[in-house]
Amino acid sequence: MKLRPSVDVAPGRSPRQAIPFLLPALVVLAALVLYPLVFSLIRSFFDATGDEFVGLRNYVDTFTDPRTLTAFRNNVIWVVVAPAAVTGIGLILAVLTERIRWATAFRLVLFMPMAISLFASGIIFRLVYEETPNQGVVNAVLVGVHDMFSPSSQYPGARPREGYTPTEAGFIADAPARAGDTITLPLVGFSPQDVPAQALPASVPAAGNGEVRGVVWLDVSVGGSAGKVDPIERGLPGIAVEAVRDGQVVARTTTGDDGRFTFPDLASGEVAVRLPSSNFALPFRGLTWLGPSLITPVIISSWIWIMTGFAITFIAAGLSAIPRDALEAARVDGATEWQVFRRVTIPLLSPVLLVVFVTLVINVLKIFELVFVIAPGSVQSEANVLALQMWQVSFGTGGDQGAGSALAVILFLLVAPAMLFNIRRFRRERS
Amino acid sequence: MTLVAEEVRIEVPVSGAPKRGVLSRVAARLGNGAIQLLLALVAVFWLVPVFGLLIASLRDESANTATGWWTVFTKPAELTLANYAELVANQAVWQSFLNTFYIAVPATVLVVVMASLASYALSWIEFPGRETLTVVVVGLLVMPIQVALIPVAKLFGAFGLFGTITGVVLFHVAFGLPFAIFLLRNFFAGIPRDLIEAARMDGATEWVIFKRVVLPVAKPAIASLTIFQFLWVWNDMLVALVFADQDSAPITVALRAQLRQFGTNIDLLATGAFLSMIVPLAVFLVFQKYFVQGVLAGSTK
Amino acid sequence: MTAVALRDVSLVHPGGTVAVNDVSLSVADGEFVVLLGPSGCGKSSILRMVAGLQRPTSGQVFLDGVPADDVPARSRGVSMVFQDFALYPHLTVADNIGFPLDVAKRPRDERAERIAEVAEAFGIGDLLDRRPAELSGGQRQRAAMARAIVRGPRVLLMDEPLSNLDAVLRSGLRAEIAGLARSLGLTVLYVTHDQIEAQTMADRIAVLRNGVLEDEGRPDEVYRHPATMHVAAFLGSPRMSLFKAYVQVVVDSHVELHIGGQAIDLPWPDMRARAVAHYDGEDIAVGARTEALRPAAPGSSGPVLKGQVRHLEHHGHETLVSVDVGAWGVEPCGLHELRTGELVLRVRPDVRPVHGEHVGVHLCLEQLHFFDLANGRRIGPRGRRR
Repeated sequence: MKLRPSVDVAPGRSPRQAIPFLLPALVVLAALVLYPLVFSLIRSFFDATGDEFVGLRNYVDTFTDPRTLTAFRNNVIWVVVAPAAVTGIGLILAVLTERIRWATAFRLVLFMPMAISLFASGIIFRLVYEETPNQGVVNAVLVGVHDMFSPSSQYPGARPREGYTPTEAGFIADAPARAGDTITLPLVGFSPQDVPAQALPASVPAAGNGEVRGVVWLDVSVGGSAGKVDPIERGLPGIAVEAVRDGQVVARTTTGDDGRFTFPDLASGEVAVRLPSSNFALPFRGLTWLGPSLITPVIISSWIWIMTGFAITFIAAGLSAIPRDALEAARVDGATEWQVFRRVTIPLLSPVLLVVFVTLVINVLKIFELVFVIAPGSVQSEANVLALQMWQVSFGTGGDQGAGSALAVILFLLVAPAMLFNIRRFRRERS
Repeated sequence: MTLVAEEVRIEVPVSGAPKRGVLSRVAARLGNGAIQLLLALVAVFWLVPVFGLLIASLRDESANTATGWWTVFTKPAELTLANYAELVANQAVWQSFLNTFYIAVPATVLVVVMASLASYALSWIEFPGRETLTVVVVGLLVMPIQVALIPVAKLFGAFGLFGTITGVVLFHVAFGLPFAIFLLRNFFAGIPRDLIEAARMDGATEWVIFKRVVLPVAKPAIASLTIFQFLWVWNDMLVALVFADQDSAPITVALRAQLRQFGTNIDLLATGAFLSMIVPLAVFLVFQKYFVQGVLAGSTK
Repeated sequence: MTAVALRDVSLVHPGGTVAVNDVSLSVADGEFVVLLGPSGCGKSSILRMVAGLQRPTSGQVFLDGVPADDVPARSRGVSMVFQDFALYPHLTVADNIGFPLDVAKRPRDERAERIAEVAEAFGIGDLLDRRPAELSGGQRQRAAMARAIVRGPRVLLMDEPLSNLDAVLRSGLRAEIAGLARSLGLTVLYVTHDQIEAQTMADRIAVLRNGVLEDEGRPDEVYRHPATMHVAAFLGSPRMSLFKAYVQVVVDSHVELHIGGQAIDLPWPDMRARAVAHYDGEDIAVGARTEALRPAAPGSSGPVLKGQVRHLEHHGHETLVSVDVGAWGVEPCGLHELRTGELVLRVRPDVRPVHGEHVGVHLCLEQLHFFDLANGRRIGPRGRRR
């Protein structure tokens, strides 16, 4: 007997009944998602005003424009670094949280950034990485740690008026000194207000027998003469002075409150007087996090802060779905915990890790707000990414909707593999 | 002695549980302690930035420019609500705060209604092309919104919707639908077929089945979707940046102008950012279970 | 009056699998008909086609003599009890039962009255405020049945309603359901794979296999005169022993059936001998239930097969003894258990045979069944209408 399969297997359930259910959603999707996709594709072949067909020129321009190329480069950095980092951190933390009782609370804390806007997260990290150490906490911590190991100098930025050559080690005298010499060392480039309170008026010491004596003072040109010790000028206390012979430090001393110093028993021969650079080192101000060179890592770190909770929660759900039997069987078979993790947990978890990774890649490709908010206007071109560039080209300063459409299409093409991945996963789950 | 030995023997389970020496047990305890410490540190790392923002929002302008928020531990008297009072008194900012509601609430309601209707048809009414349609929706999940910005801006311009709250809402609805349909369809399709057929046998029409069987059964999924969508729209910046004008701008866009002088505007920005965070944080803390489920279910947006 | 009739109904799934193959069946008003068969035999598909949840690929379903093809499920006046009960988890028992009345927009007081009435009949009157999750399996079962009959359906369909319950509850509910159905005068089409349910509850049994209706009739008829080898094997516990026999006709005297190395004679006057004789020189299948077998007294004459005890099964009230008589077993396809053609004897528990013991088995010729090996059909006059 020949029978044809039923297509309409359920009587009374005609397509007509589906229409009222589907219509509202389909109209909106067609008008505001599908139609725009087609429109953007077409629009990308026209010029800025949309009047003239220019073929692929927008695409050619896009790939030759240095700003867009920077955006491309940054997107590549993002895709290579960020999703892998978050997946890895998420995996480690998810595994660790399995062993603690307050896992739920922990995951809640790490998930919290997902709830707040990228705009607010951006502000939060702008504040975290703010450059001045009295505003940005990261630099404050860095300065604190730095000063703990190398205390800041007393006379930042000061330098000898003349006759000294700046070197790595410090300012070294051009003219040699020998026993019995008296050295006057006027310093400039320092504000009199910042001179320590205990400083006494400076005076040139008398020459001593077999000794090298000298004075270091702040030489002000207003109300005094340059290079001469004037009555109003004060000695600079606490400055390290070294005597150097053949590149070796033979003596070291420190100036007193009146700025005087003495090398007592220098053997005969010439020495060079040197003021070590530690006297004048500028205070450590931390790193320029929001400057051109660090801006992308900084934004990535804030994205990691936002997305890690998602990865942990997703991976933890995957971990709890692993059948206990499999793990216990492995333990009974004599595997160590590491082997169980490496040989059983990870393989069973790999589909979950893949989904997390792909999700994060999609998210990264569309990154916009974080860069927009965290990167200060002056370095935005350094931190640029495609999504931001698309907005700037078409709505910001550019106003070129042809080029903007081309960028939108490129963005779409970059996301397309993830789209196919999702569809395949969906199909597989159904069958 | 004998007694002690006896006791020890009783403690050891007969079934050959792992015999661990005292040393390894101490090591395990220590290892666990180290893990706890590490995780506690991580949690602190996650909380400090938010805490910093909160404190900064509670200090006045001069305090924020002069010293970091962490000095509050030595000078707690500096804290003040003045920034908030000022911000709320600022007509433009307060309006933008309200706008955020006017955008997020309808955009959420519309998405939930449209998506649950469509999901019902996609899971329980058979019609030609159902598979294809479902796959298209799954494909749209990851569609970057940049693709639609220019064309929709033109479209809205033609219909007088550009720069209106309605326009912003419509755009959010459109781009919220694929995820919403995906989430609800998955849940609806998981409802036992018997339940739907029982209702059909009991004389219910499709509409009645949808309203009286599917919707009540799917409450958890709908709650997840509602919360997820609400927060998504509330937190948006890009869509509003393009489609809203000054009068319809939500808080993220309204505060954006202050970004130029970040260092001197910390008080204002921190306060504004925290104001914009209060609603999501409250929603998150109250409904975190549903929100987390929503995010996990989506895992693609 | 015919409540339900299927005429030449077939169902082919989109993949090309034939779920139901040309089945005709009718259920009279007030009749309790059981569709019996192994899983995947198409019995649930038949139920769903009667319900209107599935449209036949060909053929027609009639309700009260009227073609029902274009009548949607909700308008058929047919209700159904599902295997896992399908109670609405968000509604109380009362609201579950009242649901069909709600969607039919019946008045409130009638609704309350009907709910109370039906709940009383099923003994769940005190559970009306509970949710399904708070009910035991048996209570869910009753609530589901109450919901199914509250509207006064013309046909009640039941899809393996007892398979999710434990054994004790099942046997209790068997009698209860059948009793209620009869007292309420319900027309029931009941699907099960459990032959005991079929035997105990049904007015009429329809046995399905691979989408084909193999046999149909009163439970005792089907049991005693199964139309095919498969039906024979499916009904009855322990299963009917089936083994090969070589047919040799001794003209005008008898038909010899060679079983293993032994033979039994089917005397010519036996009505079936003539039919079996058509298979002269060929193999047929012989079936024997335990009722047809008894231990042969030593030295007794008549149809006896000698063999060795292979296996013992003590049931307390009786002992089942498997005896290997050297026969080749026959395996009706689709039922795959025993491979050797052992005979199963039922003996009193105080009779204690030993493994390997040599015994004789006496066969009651009248109670043997003969089947065509090629098509599985019964050989000989059926002794009843078809």
